[in-house]
Amino acid sequence: MKNDEFVTIPGNWNFNFNYFAGESASRFFRELRENRRIMGTRTQEGGRVLVPARAFDDETMEPTDDWVAVGPEGTLETFTIITAAFPGLPEPPLVMGYVTLDGADTALINFIHGVDLSDINAAAKSLSKLPRVKVEFIDNPQGRITDFSFRLV
Amino acid sequence: MKSAAIIGVGQTGYRRSHPDKSSRELIWQAARLALEDAGVGIDGIDVILAGVAPDGLSGENSVERTGMLGRRKPFLRVNTGGVTGSSTVFAALSYINSGRAKAVLVVGLERMGQATSSQQVFNTIFDPIYEKDFPLTTITMAALRASMLMRLYGYTERHWAEIASRSFRNALRNPLAHLRKDISPEDVLASQLLAWPIHRFEACPMSEGACAMVIVAPEHVGDRRPAWVQGAASITDSYAMGDRIHRPGATLVDLLSLRLAAGKAYGQAGITRPRDELRVAELYSAFSSAEAMAYPALGFCAPEDGPAFVEAQFTDSRLPVFNPSGGPQGANPVSATAMVRIAECALQVRGLAGERQVADVERAVATGQGGATQFSTVCVLGRRPVH
Repeated sequence: MKNDEFVTIPGNWNFNFNYFAGESASRFFRELRENRRIMGTRTQEGGRVLVPARAFDDETMEPTDDWVAVGPEGTLETFTIITAAFPGLPEPPLVMGYVTLDGADTALINFIHGVDLSDINAAAKSLSKLPRVKVEFIDNPQGRITDFSFRLV
Repeated sequence: MKSAAIIGVGQTGYRRSHPDKSSRELIWQAARLALEDAGVGIDGIDVILAGVAPDGLSGENSVERTGMLGRRKPFLRVNTGGVTGSSTVFAALSYINSGRAKAVLVVGLERMGQATSSQQVFNTIFDPIYEKDFPLTTITMAALRASMLMRLYGYTERHWAEIASRSFRNALRNPLAHLRKDISPEDVLASQLLAWPIHRFEACPMSEGACAMVIVAPEHVGDRRPAWVQGAASITDSYAMGDRIHRPGATLVDLLSLRLAAGKAYGQAGITRPRDELRVAELYSAFSSAEAMAYPALGFCAPEDGPAFVEAQFTDSRLPVFNPSGGPQGANPVSATAMVRIAECALQVRGLAGERQVADVERAVATGQGGATQFSTVCVLGRRPVH
């Protein structure tokens, strides 16, 4: 080895995990799979409707055990159009955005389908008008957040 | 808050990677420079605090071992995502203000040059239950906010390009910076579109390197040239970005945590007119849109005046100088970045910033932003202690 040569030792992390979704997300996912509906939760005192469902409202630390169905339509709040490929992530171009479903007080993130992406700037301009969207389920819901996405109305 | 002073700063300089140094060697190099600047040996240090953020970025699962320096001293590792570096400094301030230490050595290390899949690691920082299946990265998270700022306040892609270009050009005067290229606003706009409206040259680089500082109680400043900590505050917010969309008075693009932290830190420092009283601002702005969100939160302008404020920076020399070091656009060693902001402000108020020195810096402000901005820190440094 030359004196000015620096050694590089290859490494790799490839660990598997099972993430424990917890009580509220487990019910949220069951509702997706069995009833094809999006549920939010709120405090019994009539607090804000949190979507996706949460166990507690982090403003008040109170439990949110009042379950409310929201949607199936909603309004786009903000978005990005992903145009570059990132390793391990879906192929571009695609639109991702936050949507407030009717009856919800918070927005949730998902893909937005049905947008003409042949001209990215024109697509951005039209999405900036915050169009209405609707929930669209996949054919065989698995009880995962990927069971649905949004499509322009 | 009692007084504390920064009397030593050491930085390795930042690059995409430092293949010539192990992590231990990097942290040791920065620490030695800081101790030398402070004129103290390791024996004069009471506590050592190390800030290192996600282990996945370095691929070393026990960086508390890497960060450990010296012997027979209390040691803590701090990790709060993007604000790891400033949280480490604030932990040092707590030791000093409580009287539990007279002199603290803080070190911040970023080793992501070892990560050949860093964007995949960044994807894992989001919620594994509801979010990890979407292409959420630091870039797309910034893009979701940038598009909202454009819609609400009239920012254009040109504004993002001008902010990024200004930082790149400032970095030309910083020998420690990772990216030192004269990148014009046109170059930014012509670079690859990653996630509308973010272009490649608007995103900060991925850098590694180490930063260290020696922070002491007032009676230990001695004959050293200090940067006095006049105000320091750290505030959290809800992690859930979707919960902030409709929040009255503090939506997703209002950095509530930064605004509250600034209010506290300015209160401690006695600052009432930040635009006039702060000469330098070193902002943790990994993207131009993050800088734009910081202006109103730090009291520099109203949210709707942001685009005009960007334009005024190029013509009004009375305005604070933003990121004279180049900021995160010049180098973004994630775990250390928020500490670097404080270190650069310390160099500015001490008059030791070399080619990037701004004239007559009486006071400077450094910010930290972490995660989905659920963590913010604000630190005001000055030539004199606050009484």
